[in-house]
Amino acid sequence: MIEFRNVTVVYDNNVIGLDNVSFHIDKGEFVFLVGKTGAGKSSAIKLLTGEIKPYSGEVDIDGTIVSALKHRQVPYHRRRLGVVFQDYRLLQNKTVYENVAFAMEIVGAPKSEIRQRVPQILNLVGLSRKARVYPKKLSGGEQQRVCIARALVNSPTMVIADEPTGNLDPDTSKEIMGLLEEINSRGTTIVMVTHDEKIVNDMRKRVIRFESGMLVSDKEKGVYSLDN
Amino acid sequence: MCTVLIIRKWGYFLKSALTGMCRNGFMTLASLATVTCCLILFGVFMLFSVNINFIGRQIQSQCEIQAYIDIDADAAQEQAVVAAINSMDNLASATFVSKDDAIEEYREFLGVDASALDGLSGDDFLRSSVRIVLSDLHTMDEFVAQLSQIPNVAEVVNRRDIVERIISVTDVIRNGSFIAMLILIIVAIFIISNTIELSVHSREDEIHIMKYVGATDRFIRWPFVIEGMLTGLLGGAISLLLVAVGYDTAVSNMLSFLDIFELLRLGAVLPWLAAFTLVFGAVMGTLGSAFAITRHLKV
Repeated sequence: MIEFRNVTVVYDNNVIGLDNVSFHIDKGEFVFLVGKTGAGKSSAIKLLTGEIKPYSGEVDIDGTIVSALKHRQVPYHRRRLGVVFQDYRLLQNKTVYENVAFAMEIVGAPKSEIRQRVPQILNLVGLSRKARVYPKKLSGGEQQRVCIARALVNSPTMVIADEPTGNLDPDTSKEIMGLLEEINSRGTTIVMVTHDEKIVNDMRKRVIRFESGMLVSDKEKGVYSLDN
Repeated sequence: MCTVLIIRKWGYFLKSALTGMCRNGFMTLASLATVTCCLILFGVFMLFSVNINFIGRQIQSQCEIQAYIDIDADAAQEQAVVAAINSMDNLASATFVSKDDAIEEYREFLGVDASALDGLSGDDFLRSSVRIVLSDLHTMDEFVAQLSQIPNVAEVVNRRDIVERIISVTDVIRNGSFIAMLILIIVAIFIISNTIELSVHSREDEIHIMKYVGATDRFIRWPFVIEGMLTGLLGGAISLLLVAVGYDTAVSNMLSFLDIFELLRLGAVLPWLAAFTLVFGAVMGTLGSAFAITRHLKV
């Protein structure tokens, strides 16, 4: 469950990131955040990960007021989210397996659990055969699968995807969306920021649109463009 | 937290520090080279200044004060003078030169003309004396004044002009080397922490990813700090080896033609040199990486 209550974000240079925004996302939903660059999508994501704090209002995830967390509490909060990036952000000097295992090592998971869990997740994203390969040798789609595997390996209740298909061709994008949909069908909430009109229109999920920091529309089974 | 967990955690820190060093080979090498160069410079400088001090002390010890004892004093009175001098402060050594010793020295001084002294004994015209070396030349005037107060001390002879010059030269060298050392330390801290910062910077992605996956600051910091410490220690060890070997060779070569002064042998300086370079290397590496990493943790 995600709840934004009258959230306003103001950056140091007095630019307004979000302007009195409120919305609610239930557990297990699949939601697109759309809008132009600078409309407020990134601010919303940064609030969820605890990277920035709102000027006013509250961000509530499953009863935790993220905006009120102390610096040292933020890491423990992030362990409950999985983050997927447009540029994958894989460690180039670690293999696929190590990149995914890394996320478990960080939270102090025992070795036996890591050895059991990582192959499962790699199997889920269809990369079992590439476990020992370094990211450089993978295609963009495969790298994004690794990134998704890493986001999922600690069993988060929600996945935040920041333009996960931004660097991918349409066919690969479709595959990645299929994967995200499958993860969603297992009960994981998915919040995805995107510019990809076709994907949004094809998927017919809930669409929240931002413009100049304000939430301008919120539609179930929505489409990318406002006019339709 | 139970012991097993703690051991596992530190084992992981150490392991990731070591893999970090290997996988970021170039940056590790750059930091290592910087640390090593700084410490070599240090070692050389430290050896230079301890030797200058050592030579300074040798020159000081050659600036003797001679206290002549009254020619009429008997043996007991002479011994009383020696005892009085031996009880004074700031005394490095006091050597009694009897009348007979004095005439022997005079004979040696005359060489082939020594026969001129045949038939004469020290009692006839030479005075006994005490040759005094001070530990600190700065207070020579007070020492001489006290010396003159001792009964049966007839005359005190010293080379005041030379002593003053030596004092001023050794003071300049000592203060100069202290200031230069201080500047060198500041420069080294700056260079080393910058290089480590550079190496941390090159792994900013890694740090960001760790932050996003939920790593605590502690968890990110320790492997880097351990890595910095190991780099510093390794740099210290390499520079210690190079400086020690270089110094030993240099000293043996120099001593063969430098016969006015003694130089400190490697054995005498090695413990200090080792402690200095290793500790300084480790501390520099640790602090340098701790500072550098803290600046990158705010995500």
